[in-house]
This record gives sequence, structure tokens and C-alpha cells, in this order.
Amino acid sequence: MTLTVIVASDFTNFIGRFHPVLVHAPIGFLLIAALLEAGRRMGKISVSESTVTFILFWSAVSATFACFAGYMLSLGGGYDEKLLSDHMWQGIGVAAFAWIAWLLKSEFFQNSKTLLAKFYFPAFCLATILTMTAGHDGGSLTHGEGYLTQYTPEPFRSLAGMDPIKKEISGIQPIADIQQALVYQDIVQPILEMKCVQCHNEKKQKGDLRVDQFVSLQKGGKEGPVFIPGKGAESSMITRCLLPEDDDDHMPPKGKPQLSTDQITLISWWIDQGAPVDKKVSDIKVTEQIKTALAGLGSSGGASKSELPKSAESAIAKLTVSEPSEKDIEALRKAGLLVNRLSQDQNLIEVSAVNAANFGDAQISLLLPLAEQITWLKLGKTKITDAGLKEVSKLKNLTRLHLEHTAVGDAGLANLKSLKYLEYLNLVDTKVSDRGLKNVADNKSVKSVYVWGSAVSDSAIAVVTSKYPGLVITNGLNKELMARFAQKNDTLTSK
Amino acid sequence: MEKLLKELQHANLESQTRRHFLQSCGFGLGALGLGSLLGSCGNSNAETDTAAKLASSKIPQFAPKAKRVIYIHMAGAPSQLELFDYKPELLKYHGKDCPAEFLEGKKFAFIQGVPKMLGPQGKFNQYGNSGAWISDYMPHLQSVADEITFIKSMHTDQFNHAPAQLLMHTGSARLGRPSLGAWSVYGLGSENQNLPGFIVLASGGQQPDAGKSVYGSGFLPSVYQGVQCRTGGDPVLYVSDPTGMNRSMRKQTIDAINDINRKTYEDVQDPEILTRISQYEMAFRMQMSVPEVMDVSKEPQFILDMYGVKPGEGTFAMNCLLARKLVENDVRFVQLFDWGWDAHGTSSTSNVEGGLREKCQESDRPVAALLQDLKMRGLLEETLVIWGGEFGRTPMQENRNGLVMPYMGRDHHLEAFTMWMAGGGVKKGYSHGETDELGYYGVKDKVHVHDLQATILHLMGFDHEKFTYPFQGRNFRLTDTMGKVVSQVIA
Repeated sequence: MTLTVIVASDFTNFIGRFHPVLVHAPIGFLLIAALLEAGRRMGKISVSESTVTFILFWSAVSATFACFAGYMLSLGGGYDEKLLSDHMWQGIGVAAFAWIAWLLKSEFFQNSKTLLAKFYFPAFCLATILTMTAGHDGGSLTHGEGYLTQYTPEPFRSLAGMDPIKKEISGIQPIADIQQALVYQDIVQPILEMKCVQCHNEKKQKGDLRVDQFVSLQKGGKEGPVFIPGKGAESSMITRCLLPEDDDDHMPPKGKPQLSTDQITLISWWIDQGAPVDKKVSDIKVTEQIKTALAGLGSSGGASKSELPKSAESAIAKLTVSEPSEKDIEALRKAGLLVNRLSQDQNLIEVSAVNAANFGDAQISLLLPLAEQITWLKLGKTKITDAGLKEVSKLKNLTRLHLEHTAVGDAGLANLKSLKYLEYLNLVDTKVSDRGLKNVADNKSVKSVYVWGSAVSDSAIAVVTSKYPGLVITNGLNKELMARFAQKNDTLTSK
Repeated sequence: MEKLLKELQHANLESQTRRHFLQSCGFGLGALGLGSLLGSCGNSNAETDTAAKLASSKIPQFAPKAKRVIYIHMAGAPSQLELFDYKPELLKYHGKDCPAEFLEGKKFAFIQGVPKMLGPQGKFNQYGNSGAWISDYMPHLQSVADEITFIKSMHTDQFNHAPAQLLMHTGSARLGRPSLGAWSVYGLGSENQNLPGFIVLASGGQQPDAGKSVYGSGFLPSVYQGVQCRTGGDPVLYVSDPTGMNRSMRKQTIDAINDINRKTYEDVQDPEILTRISQYEMAFRMQMSVPEVMDVSKEPQFILDMYGVKPGEGTFAMNCLLARKLVENDVRFVQLFDWGWDAHGTSSTSNVEGGLREKCQESDRPVAALLQDLKMRGLLEETLVIWGGEFGRTPMQENRNGLVMPYMGRDHHLEAFTMWMAGGGVKKGYSHGETDELGYYGVKDKVHVHDLQATILHLMGFDHEKFTYPFQGRNFRLTDTMGKVVSQVIA
């Protein structure tokens, strides 16, 4: 049953929100009083009666305030009726028995020698026990039922007759075949489970909304339906997620885990497509943007793991190599090379000869002990030649190679074919010609090549680019284009 | 000479503290078998740091996409409404009273009462495959539109130049925090041992309003602060040898000074001494390297023409060319400041018509040339170029003291402005965020200054929440307690 004496207002909400703060006072006070009383009765400590009475008084006062605040909080609605009612009466019980215990303990009753004084101890015990049960129900109201014991380990779990821990609790499971996935059940529902269900479930229905099952999601909440099939951008479950985090209507509330952009995009897409319950991804329209968002759900992506997109240099992200030896790194540093670890979670390293202009073919073998780890190599402006590139080709995990302003030419580049992760190649101001470029282009992993100031011709670039659309070859502006660039609508030169 | 000796004696006496006394006690009495009692006194075997260690890098959380940064700050704050944020609706309101909802509870630097709305002065068009909106104020930038990510929904907390610049560069509107460049060099280290890792170049006749603090090192060791180079004449003053002293003699002098400094460091362990040692060494190496890298006379004529540079002139165009040369020589962070973008409408140079057009004419071609130049050298992929002011400008015309201004101008605006980034791992040809139809508020994907800083650090490989420096008992970070990486702009 519920009492409706006051109507919910901003003021009651304000007071109500203090309930979780206030409740901890009577819990703490009563437990400390119980502890002192127990210690006193067992003769372990000497505490005056008045100490216990004093604490009991404040337990009763704080419990009374907590009751009032709790009642006001409940006016906001959205809680499981039965659980709420249990919690309320237990809470009132705590306050009532605390007052009774205090009264019976007072000098008046203790001195009057009536039978009533004998009820002090039972009343006190009852108040203490009710504190615990009310506290437990309060926890269930806030965090959801089963929160306390959710992660009970074995063997206690089976002893208590609980189900094994559900695996998907920790997040969205990667989906093996995206095309065959059910849009609602495999994509939308897991997102809702992870980010929304905590406050919108069977037991706790904030805003009278439940999202743990499709039927109730469709029904909507206090303010009507949360989605309009076919109109994702107008559906309140989308617009609320897009409000600034400081906005009162923003969902999930500030401080709770937020939905990622991809997750919002996916839910919005599902609504746009009419919010079907039983359709597969392959049954409905997939745009480019959705494709990227979906890709994150695949078994390799794991959108739930990281909210940030994976690095574009995917090859680097996938490489795992052993720890580089400090001795080998030290040898490189002695030769004047700069050696840095690329990131904390990987052993890949970057080597740069920016401070070693005299570095050349003779020293190149120093790199070989770290052949596995070196992924970025900068040999620009050094004395390296085609002969040295033969050794460079042994750095099997190389992704970026700077050879600008060196004497390397076509013969040396032929060696680089074996580098299966090479993505970036800087050949600015080298002797490389069309033949060398074709050799490089045959390497499928290469994404960008810079050839400005080399012997590569524009026509060769055009041929290679048409053959390999994924490859970007940058030759920069020739003098003519540069002059035209400088002239364009320009008033600077005329000034 | 006598005075010098006295000073030395005084300094020595000053450094003899109680700690030193106890320290020597530890040794002296230790021999007498009492050492164990005073064990903690004599054990000063603190690791001797080297200057090289200061310049070395921390390991980033993830592989960096931007290895270097060129940050072009247009001090005074350019008008987004004339340049990038096209608002045709605002033109319809031109000359009409500003709606009351834009003024209620708002404070402006100069606007009083009810100002009139001011329509965009530029002619807008879409450019590149990405259809980026750019006005006729910047004809050259149009040619590189497809390299750029525009963020149109920037917002800040400060409406005065100095605090807003501090917030933009140090993450706090108050003094004392390290700048973005200082954090970058602290994190990623310095690559070229002959050049400072963080170099500052200023143009436009004045320094930024917030002074040197916008490129200072705050509580980080001062070796990380930005080194300002002059654009005309000697790039760094007093770095050349005095008359009568040759380079080897200079070397001996510096070695002797550094030996003394190193001994002092062993005694007092003040990290600032390491900074001083490394700066002496750096200054010596800079004698050779700086004149070389700052000398544009060896650049081919067509490159000079592309930027619009005349050798010997300390212009913004020159600074752009120098920025390219510095980055080519692996300087980690190059900060450009250009003064004179504060278009209030108070004079013939400070307004959004002629004045802003002139600033654009001075800077448009060099900036576009810089992007072109970096790209063809294969540097743009690894270099993040950032362009922007410290805040935006109002959609209303400024009415300082309630009067009609002689020229069309706009007041400082913190709710919405545009910045752009290119290269270094950001998307090519992309526009992020939107403002309302009058350009007053960001309405979609708002990006706060701290969010931008978090994103820049992310591009350099750092998690802005983990990249910290302990100072006065707590770990400080660039983004303080705020900031969210804008993942949408990352390629």
C-alpha cells in the first residue's frame, strides 16, 4: 500500500534526494549503539548507560528524518511497489523501535520498575534487525535486486543454489556474422542492457519506463512512446541521448556510462527502419555510416571495449612482438640514433637518424638485432644507398620508411617488396624513377608514397594510380601549378 | 674579481644548510660506529639525472598519429561568421534588433543594451569534394579544403583575450599551467638535438595578450618551455660568439660552467640546474643549427613565391615557411602567433570588412601554401596543423558604449566559433558540429576547449586523463578534470 498525503513537487524531490545521505546516519548510530550495548553486557568494556541512551536518541531522530526524506523520494515514482512498501514499513519500524528503545532506556522507565522496562532489549534488537533488512531492500531499490550477490564466487554460488554468472553482464558480445544478426535482439537490446536497464527495469522503472523487453519499450514511459518507428531523429530515446550532458533531460544521467556515438547511430538506424523485432541486418537498408558502426560490433572490433576508433594504421595495432633488448637499443643510441617506444602496450619501436647525418650503409647492420621491433624508420638526409636498403628489407614489421633526400634509387627499392606491412614511403628528392615506383606499387600494403623531386613522372603516377585505387602517390605541385596557386585572386603580390 | 670571489663565498655559505651538516655527520660519525644510528643522514645516493634524460620521452599510451604539431593561433580571434560558418539566415536579420533571448543573462566584453544583428560580410561557396564552406576572404584555403577538418561548434569559458588564450593553450584561464607545446615535448621528447623541441614565432606587430605564459612550461621543468625565435635579423639574440672569442674557446667556457653546475646539482638536486646545463649546451649547438634552419635564402624561388615570402621580412608568411623548415628538421612543436584579428569595428584596421580582409590576405596564401608544402614533402601525414583564435565573434554588431561604431565589427563571443585541423591523423575534408541558424550557439556536437585539447593529446598518443605531472601534492593534467576526445574528427 502507498500513502498519498503530499504531492510530488520540486521541493519534495529536493528533500527526497537527501534520503540516501540521511539513511546512513541511523544505520551507523544503531550499529554502534548495538556494539556498545553488547560489549557492555558481556563485560568487555565499561560504558555508561547514558552514552547508549544518547546514541539511541540520535538514532531515533535521524531515522525519523530519513523516513520523511525517503517518503518524499518515493513520490517521484518509478520503483517496484511491493519492494518499496516493504522498505518503507521497515524504515518506519526502525524509527519507531528506536524511539521505543530510547524511551524505555530513559531514567523514568528504568526507575519506575515497571514491566515495561524489560522490553527495552527486545525493542533495541528489533530496531537493529530492521535496520539491516530495510537497508538491504533500499540497496535493491537503488542498484536492482541481486546486486549484492551478483558476483558470488564458486563454491558458495552452487551452495546457495544460484545460477552460474551470466557472461554477457560485462558488455556486448562480439557478433560473428553481422549480416545474420537480429537487429533488435543482437544489436539494440544488448546496448540497452548495458547502458539503460539499470534504471528502467521490472523493479525500478524511472519515468515509468521499462526497456528490458521489447513490449514495454514499445509502450514507452510517463511522457509517452520513446520511439516513433521510422523517425529515429525525432524519437525521444535518441534526442535525449544527444542533449548536452549537463541538460536535466539528458540520458543516461550525468555521471553514468554514456552511449557511444556508434551506439546512438545504431539505435537510431533501427528506429528509422521501422523498429523491427525480427529482422536481420541483411533484411534492411545499410548505409555507409552504419557499416562502420556495425564493423565495430564484429568479433575483431569490440565496440564495447573501446569507445575510440582503432588507429587507422591497423597493421601496427595487430603487430605483437617480443620485448626489445636494452643492449641493442643502447648500441643504436651510441651510433647517434634516436630510439623511442611507440606505445605502452606494444614493444614496437621507432628509430630516427635525425641526429646522425653520417649514418650510412656501414652502420645499417646495427638495426638487425631489432628487426622484429622496428616499425618506423627515418633515414632521411642520411648517407644510405641502395646497398643499405637490402638490410632494411629485413626489418619485417616496418610500416613507415623515410628515405627522403638520400641517394637511393630503383635498384634499392626492389628489395622492399618483401615488407608486407609497409604503408608509408617517403622518396622525396631521391633518384627513384618510374620503374622503382612500379616496384613499390606492387606491394599491396603500401598506402602512401611521396615522390616530389624524384625522377618519377606524372604519367607513371597516373598509370599506377588507376591500377591501384587504394594507393595515394603524392607528387606535389610542379612549378607551373605553384605559380598559378600564387596568382589566384591574390592581392598580396600587388600590394 | 674580488667581488666575484666574495659572491662565490657567500653562495657557498648559503648552501651549507643543516642538512649538509647532518650529512657530513653521517660520514664522520659513521666511522666511529654510530653510522647506523644516523643511517638516513648519510645516504644521499639519489640518482644523478642527466640533461639528456630531461629531453627524453615518456612512452605514449597509444601509437601517435601526429608526431609534430604546428599550431597557428590568430590572436584577437578571427570572425567565424565571415570565414567558415555560413549563416544565410543571419543576413535576413541584418540591421534588426538582436532577439532578447540572446541577451538575457549574458555578459559581453563591449556590447551594451540591444545591439543590431550583423549579416555575414563574406561571399560563401562550397569547395572541394567535401563541400566545405569557405568565404571569399580566403581564396587560397579553398584549394586545400579537402585536407581539412573544420570544428564549427567550438566554445570556451572566457571572453577576454588573455584568459581565453591561457585557457586555449594551458587548459586554465589562470597563470601557472604548462602550455600544450610544453606538455607535448615533456611527453614525446625532443627529436633534433640541435634545436629546441618547442619553438615560437610571432608576427603582426605584437605579442599575444597573455604574454609568454601561453607558451610557458608552468610547473614542468623549464627546459620544456617554448623558445621564441625572431623572424628578422638574428633569430636568437646573443647566441652568436662575441667578438674576440672563437668557437672552441666558447666551448671550453661552456664546458667549465656546466662542470660547476653539475657539481652544484649533485649538492642541491634542483632540476632547474639540469635545465640550465642543457640550455647552455643547446645554445652552443644552436649557434650552428639555428642560423642554418632559419635561413630561407637557400629555398628555391618558386617556394618563396608560393608562400609569398620576401627574404629578410619578418612576416606571417615567413613564419609559415619557417614552420615548415622547423618541422622538416623534426622540431616537435611549432607555435605561430599572429596578432591583429580583433575586429571590433573601432578603426579602419579593426573591423570585419576591410581590416579582416587584410589580415586574411596576409595569412591565407601562406597557410594554404604551408599545407601544400607539408603534403608534398610527405610531412602532413605526421604533422598536425591547428588553426584558430581564442574565442569567436558575436552575430551582433558591436555597439561599444551604446554608440554606432564607425565600421562593422563584432564583439568577443564564447558560445560558438570555428577552428580547423589538418594532417596528423584527423579526417580529410570533414566538418564537425553545427551552430544555430544565426550562429549564436552550437546546437550539434559541441566541442569545448578542453575537448579539443584532449583530442590533440590523443592524436599525439596520450590519454589526457593519464598524462599527468605531479605538482604540489596532486597529479595535474592539461585538461584539468574535464575534456572528452572528439573521436569523430579522428581518421
